[in-house]
Amino acid sequence: MQIIDRQKVNEQINDLKKKYGDDRSALMPILQDLQEIYEYLPNVVMQETAHALGIHPVEVEGVASFYSFFRTKEKQGKYVIRLCRTISCDLAGKSNVARQLENELGVKFGETTKDGKFTLEYTNCLGMCDQGPALMINDRLFAKVDPEKASQIIADCRRDFLKSDFPKVVPSDVKKAGPILDHGLKPAEALKKALGMSRSDIINTIRESGLKGRGGAGFPTAVKWQLAGAAKGKNKYVVCNADEGEPGTFKDRMLLYEHTDILLDGMTIGAYAIGASKGFIYLRGEYLYMKKYLEEALKNRRSENLLGKNILGKDGFNFNIQIRMGAGAYVCGEETALIESLEGYRGEPRNRPPFPVDTGFQGNPTIVNNVETFIDAALIISKGAEWFNEHGTEKSKGMKIFSISGDCRHPGIYEFPFGIKVSELLKEVGGEDAKAVQIGGASGHCISRKDFNRTIAFEDIGSGGSIIVFGPDTDMLQVARNFLEFFVEESCGQCTPCRDGNPKLLEGVEMLENGRCSVAYLNELKKLGETIQNASKCGLGQSSPNAFLSIVDNFKPEILGRVPEAE
Amino acid sequence: MQDKDKLFEETTRSPKSTKTASVKLPVNTEAIGALIKVTIDDKEIRVPMGTTILEAAGKLGLNIPTLCYHEDLCISGVCRICIVEIEGYRTLQASCAFTITQPINVHTHTRKVRQARRHILDLLLSNHYGECYTCVRNNNCELQKLANEYGVDFYRFGHIEKPTYGRDESSYAIVRDMDKCIMCRRCVRTCIDLQEVGVYEAMNKGAETHIGTFMDNPMAQLICINCGQCINRCPTGALHANDPSDAIWAAIDDPTKHVVIQTAPAPRSAIGECFGLEPGTPLTFEMNTAMRYCGFDKVFDTNFAADLTIIEEGTELILRLYNALVKKGQQALPQFTSCSPGWVKYIEHFYPEFLPNMSSAKSPQQMFGAVIKTYYAELNNIDPADIVTVALMPCTAKKFECNRPEMNDSGFKDIDYGLTTRELAQMFKETGIDLINMKKSDFDDPFGTATGSGIIFGATGGVMESALRSVYEFISGEKIENLFEHARIIPVRGFEGVRYVELPIAKIGPVPAILKHLVPDWNWLKGVTLKVAVAHGTANAKNILDDIKAGGRMSECHFIEFMACPGGCLGGGGMPIPTDEKIRAARARAIYAEDESSEVRKSYENPAIIRLYSEFLADGPCGHKSHKLLHTGYTPRGKKLV
Repeated sequence: MQIIDRQKVNEQINDLKKKYGDDRSALMPILQDLQEIYEYLPNVVMQETAHALGIHPVEVEGVASFYSFFRTKEKQGKYVIRLCRTISCDLAGKSNVARQLENELGVKFGETTKDGKFTLEYTNCLGMCDQGPALMINDRLFAKVDPEKASQIIADCRRDFLKSDFPKVVPSDVKKAGPILDHGLKPAEALKKALGMSRSDIINTIRESGLKGRGGAGFPTAVKWQLAGAAKGKNKYVVCNADEGEPGTFKDRMLLYEHTDILLDGMTIGAYAIGASKGFIYLRGEYLYMKKYLEEALKNRRSENLLGKNILGKDGFNFNIQIRMGAGAYVCGEETALIESLEGYRGEPRNRPPFPVDTGFQGNPTIVNNVETFIDAALIISKGAEWFNEHGTEKSKGMKIFSISGDCRHPGIYEFPFGIKVSELLKEVGGEDAKAVQIGGASGHCISRKDFNRTIAFEDIGSGGSIIVFGPDTDMLQVARNFLEFFVEESCGQCTPCRDGNPKLLEGVEMLENGRCSVAYLNELKKLGETIQNASKCGLGQSSPNAFLSIVDNFKPEILGRVPEAE
Repeated sequence: MQDKDKLFEETTRSPKSTKTASVKLPVNTEAIGALIKVTIDDKEIRVPMGTTILEAAGKLGLNIPTLCYHEDLCISGVCRICIVEIEGYRTLQASCAFTITQPINVHTHTRKVRQARRHILDLLLSNHYGECYTCVRNNNCELQKLANEYGVDFYRFGHIEKPTYGRDESSYAIVRDMDKCIMCRRCVRTCIDLQEVGVYEAMNKGAETHIGTFMDNPMAQLICINCGQCINRCPTGALHANDPSDAIWAAIDDPTKHVVIQTAPAPRSAIGECFGLEPGTPLTFEMNTAMRYCGFDKVFDTNFAADLTIIEEGTELILRLYNALVKKGQQALPQFTSCSPGWVKYIEHFYPEFLPNMSSAKSPQQMFGAVIKTYYAELNNIDPADIVTVALMPCTAKKFECNRPEMNDSGFKDIDYGLTTRELAQMFKETGIDLINMKKSDFDDPFGTATGSGIIFGATGGVMESALRSVYEFISGEKIENLFEHARIIPVRGFEGVRYVELPIAKIGPVPAILKHLVPDWNWLKGVTLKVAVAHGTANAKNILDDIKAGGRMSECHFIEFMACPGGCLGGGGMPIPTDEKIRAARARAIYAEDESSEVRKSYENPAIIRLYSEFLADGPCGHKSHKLLHTGYTPRGKKLV
């Protein structure tokens, strides 16, 4: 066992406290840096971190154990290989890659090689769904991996990537751009215009545009900003939710990388509108490779006075942005869980009310918006409300960026207006023969052909932009199983219906697979699904049984009375 | 005299659970105090803004089931059993967490609600290992009660057949049986927010979530103060005390053993609760008869030892003050009380730098044990090796205390077993005793008579009040009744987390005989204002210690009483479950009533104490012999875990 020098640990922690602050909100970044040093979080390191922040060691372990990127029990390998097991990668042949990785390394998933060089793990959605199967090694992403490539990647690792044919950053695949993606705006153009407007004019323009949150819930952005602007608080905060974890979503990865300045304009405009002085980008742990790039962008903006004090000469408008990394917890995409995580707690959603607009980060008024929402807001300020709301439907204004993956000929990123019919969308992406479409990711709905003439809009089928196409040969029980496995693992685990209910649904899927589920019990499980929808604490829990329920409803003939292969 | 301001914020930092629970009113704070009309099950009520639905329903006399909710703790809202339907809301809302800020129409038992509650129970039961009839909480379990109320007659979603975690019985005080845990997180909130100790936290996420300890260490290897507050708040049998009754029965059955039991003041005010009586029904003398019926050879009153503690601890305080004020020597002040073993372990772990401030006096339990195995053994010509001392305590930390290796100054373990109120009630039930209708009988001699000062040790502020009664009279030569009617020192009483009192010494009298060998006169105390404080719950203790460190007002105190448990001993971890604010208040009333009805109400006037000092501890309080038997030392344990 490694002998760890407490004094040295303390020196390191003190340095990190200077960098990240000495309250509990510094906990996550401190642990991330310490894990970098020690390759895991040894007992002593957790204890000293706790004492340095005035909390209890068990609280530190509680946080560390919550996030799948932290390790507390044993060292991880020099290279941590995380293979995506979410549905799109699963459909694209993840199982073969998994088998080959095990063959190459001689360890099973969850294990570390004896030489300490490799740890093999599964992970949930890497945001590469159109280019699956995907895997991540430390901060590098690999797309379209097949068993042969898997072996090459391992070989490159062994050479520490001194020479590798794989690109450092996998480019995003934009298949169809529209007014949003072809905005043609220069950095700071929108911000300059905004600073010439009054705060209420900004919020009114957003209101006129009809912009609703692009993360999926569809809450009117102007209302959020107005409430936070009116709320009283010592400080106010702007948080960009870049924890794009919904299976089948990968458009934010592209937006963050290719429209960085528009995003930062949007955040700064939001800060100006509500009177915030501090902002965070909560970037999901899987996008670690982007951190340096974003930090560079922030640095440039600071040097151009687009961030910092008296921004662009606007007296008294001070605003700065920090990047905080997530650590592998899907639920942190829920805004109150995200705030908990920013504060250094387990990412467990809070009771609502109170809402973040008045009681957010450290009890202060906070707006949390999706990456795309901030970009839309910046574009609306620059181009006007009408430019935006001439597209879309009465209740769902504007264009929407979609992440489309699964069994279609042209997966990738698309810009469509809200109100597009599912059948039209399928035609565009080359998925006309689809048997079913999952709209809105794991927490969304699975619709069958009879519903393909429905529209994608908040008033019909709402979505944060994730579309997964299932071809004619897809086994829908396998789909239900994949989504349930996802929730069984990614539930935050605090409330009974979501934590204990989803495993029961998963057991039910296993019974169906084995042809041993009575219709009566299936109906009981459907009722349980309703309970999970009705009684869970947060929006994610409430939507966790959606896929299961819609598959049971839409594909009953296919799932009942199965004869397992062995019989 | 008393500072009425709130001395400290409830907690110094902002633990997660308080933060998420805090009722923060949106936007328009002027509306605080405004009354809002709420309709619950067609009944109307007007409640202040920020009231929860659960509270409003309570005011209407409507019963909404709860599991993770506990009125001592901050809101968690995780079990979801208390969900209700609000018109206009898509989903069900947890009534314990939902704060009312606008008029709403609530329904507490719609089809949706009933189905969800039943499902939640089914889910909890499916993972709840074990059978009710082999559980220590049988008939006193919140999960069992709800299963009954909701007519659960089969395991809808199956039932776990094998234990996952196994029992942790490593601690003298607390047994963890996580297979019965329903993850309400009351223990987490108790230990972190209420006690600032931090033994438990939720670990992992998703289906792997469980309540864990640091690095899965067993309880005996953790920083746990054994206060047992987690046990008192656990809704199921997942946490319970380490029960010594089998060993006690074996001693009783052994004819060569002389088994004596001493009973602390708090249990007598509460044991009736285990037999269906209202909290605060004292059963002191019925209990005496019942214990003899069980087979205990002698029944003694711990209050005798409480009086002894006051003499020793009070004398120690006078000596410390004398050294500091007259001899100008280095002297650790304020002096801290040391009778709460949870508090003792807390300071050993978290503030070892303050150990010199701890009174070296043992707790009443341990003093009594030492006296029984020496003085009493001599007096009755019994070999101390054959004496088994049992202590009936409201406390689980006493189980750890009696097993401290240093507690054997007579050459034998001062106390062999610490028994909680709940465990004694169980022994009574086992013998078929009808406690309520038992004949009354007195305590045994030679320690029989106790004073009211001893009794009030059971409530927070009680040790301080007893000490002030004796010390004030020692110094001033006048009756405390001249200052406080009926010797009720009201300013130190109550349930405020920290209380601070100043008592100017205007008059001095002659030095009483018992202290003559220690101080020549009281002139040096004339005009001094005695400053004292009282804290209960270790989170409040932490506030005081941090204030002393920062050189705040508390650093000027002379004497501070600390109790680990909220409410003091009457809220102890060994007391009947449930324990809440109202129940603690009822127990306190019983304790103060017994004090008022006592003939002697000041420790130094206790004839048994006077006799002990003249016959046995002849060199007086804090003398050589009392130092050997009645005083102890402490171990700086620190916060590091290996």
